[in-house]
Amino acid sequence: MSINETEELILNMGPQHPSMHGLFRMVIHLEGETVTKIVPKIGYLHRGMEKLAESRTYAQFIPYTDRLDYLASPHNNWAYVQTVEKLMGVVVPERAEYLRVIFGELARIASHQVCIASTALDMAGWSAWSYAFRDRERICDMYEMTAGSRLTVNIMRIGGISAEPPAEFWPALQSFLDDTPEMLEEYYGIFFGNEIAQGRLKNVGILSKELAENLSITGPVLRASGVNYDVRKAEPYSIYDRFDFNVPVRNGCDSYDRTIIRMDEIVESIKIIKQALRDIPEGPIMAKVPKVIKPPVGEVYHRVENPKGELGFYIVSDGTTKPARVRIRPATFINLQMLPIVALGWKIQDVVAIFATLDAVLGEVDK
Amino acid sequence: MENNEKFKLQVTELATRVNGEVEESFGVLVLKVNAPYIIETLTAAKQFADGPCDFLHDLCGMDLVDHFEVVYQLTSLRGSQSLRVKAIVNRENPVVDSVTRIWQGANYLEREAFDMFGIIFKGHPNLKRIYMWDDFEGYPLRKDYVTEPIELRNITRTRIEGE
Repeated sequence: MSINETEELILNMGPQHPSMHGLFRMVIHLEGETVTKIVPKIGYLHRGMEKLAESRTYAQFIPYTDRLDYLASPHNNWAYVQTVEKLMGVVVPERAEYLRVIFGELARIASHQVCIASTALDMAGWSAWSYAFRDRERICDMYEMTAGSRLTVNIMRIGGISAEPPAEFWPALQSFLDDTPEMLEEYYGIFFGNEIAQGRLKNVGILSKELAENLSITGPVLRASGVNYDVRKAEPYSIYDRFDFNVPVRNGCDSYDRTIIRMDEIVESIKIIKQALRDIPEGPIMAKVPKVIKPPVGEVYHRVENPKGELGFYIVSDGTTKPARVRIRPATFINLQMLPIVALGWKIQDVVAIFATLDAVLGEVDK
Repeated sequence: MENNEKFKLQVTELATRVNGEVEESFGVLVLKVNAPYIIETLTAAKQFADGPCDFLHDLCGMDLVDHFEVVYQLTSLRGSQSLRVKAIVNRENPVVDSVTRIWQGANYLEREAFDMFGIIFKGHPNLKRIYMWDDFEGYPLRKDYVTEPIELRNITRTRIEGE
């Protein structure tokens, strides 16, 4: 081969690559440094959740949902138990609903902090990573106080919530809420305001509004492409219709907006938690639920706004104690479809940036 | 939804056109059609005059022992309308048209349904297994799939003489 000829290079990234968020692998075809084709390979973490659900009772499946999007485990519990409650017609006590909102929004903040931190880390911003993780620890502490575990919290039950937060939870939450404006300023200063971060993220990986809708993309990725859609507003579940909050929308459609929109969402989550703290009533935290859970024959589809997109559960009951079919609609699995389309023509380091802004958690992608 | 009646009327009209059945489950209309009509049904649902269901929210397979179903959850980003369409697929010859031409987002979802149920989506650009490895045998989410008993999982191979 003469020196002027080029040949296509195939680069294997992952499954154990530092910038892959979990066990994700992609085969990148390169022309020089420019990407000509991406073949994502998933399934390294596939545990067959949907099959496992068919051999377990309704309550036994709750801990499995923690292992979906393990960075926001209360949300997955919440989506699942709400689906079963809808099927059974259980009315959850007021206090439990408020506690669910508080834990759900805390999980959203924690998940977005991880997204910001890991995007920074993928852009080689080591110190920015430590700031967001430092603050996330405080949320994990609050989980630990209440539920006993820090990552897979397993806090929701069919009919309510597992435990009343202890006395020290409330001051910890209050001081966390008081410190958030300062935290966000720090993230902005160290990461989003950084010239290198902006250079690496701005105008990289444009996902147009039409393409996003056609690809069934949901969550912050969709909203960063200029679509104002949030299930909490469009089809309010739980008690979200009682809170006053905005849906952050950005029109940049690029990697920068897909990341910074999560900062806006943290601000809105803080607003919701503050309102929930103001309005939370006293009372029981568990509804009266039969010991043996046996929903009537029927099927129900329920979706919630997870930090990373819409998580849906489709449960078909045949009247026995075990579900006939549990379908999980993973948000990031579907969002991931944009990667081979959007990343074409960009350089390798841009592929890393685009993948980071998707905030994929492979526990959810692989189920 | 205010124009719920109007929306329902559209769905029933569509159902008569494609020989389908309409049911209601927890406030959501369910439209069951036979597999050959699926493209016509979904294209019409996408272009409803009142409340178009233009967002493919989910697609999944389902095993009902005597037949399969492919379930499409349709919603919209511009309204609260939602519709569940079910395509009835023959178990012996599980073929249904791919909807990737209507929604590109169906790509991975159809691959997943193929991987788990062995439903073949005609016209799919790249119908390969997505979660399981390529030479995996069987379709795990079918009801007749035999999961191996736990005692057999860690088989220790007996040593052959001279090995």
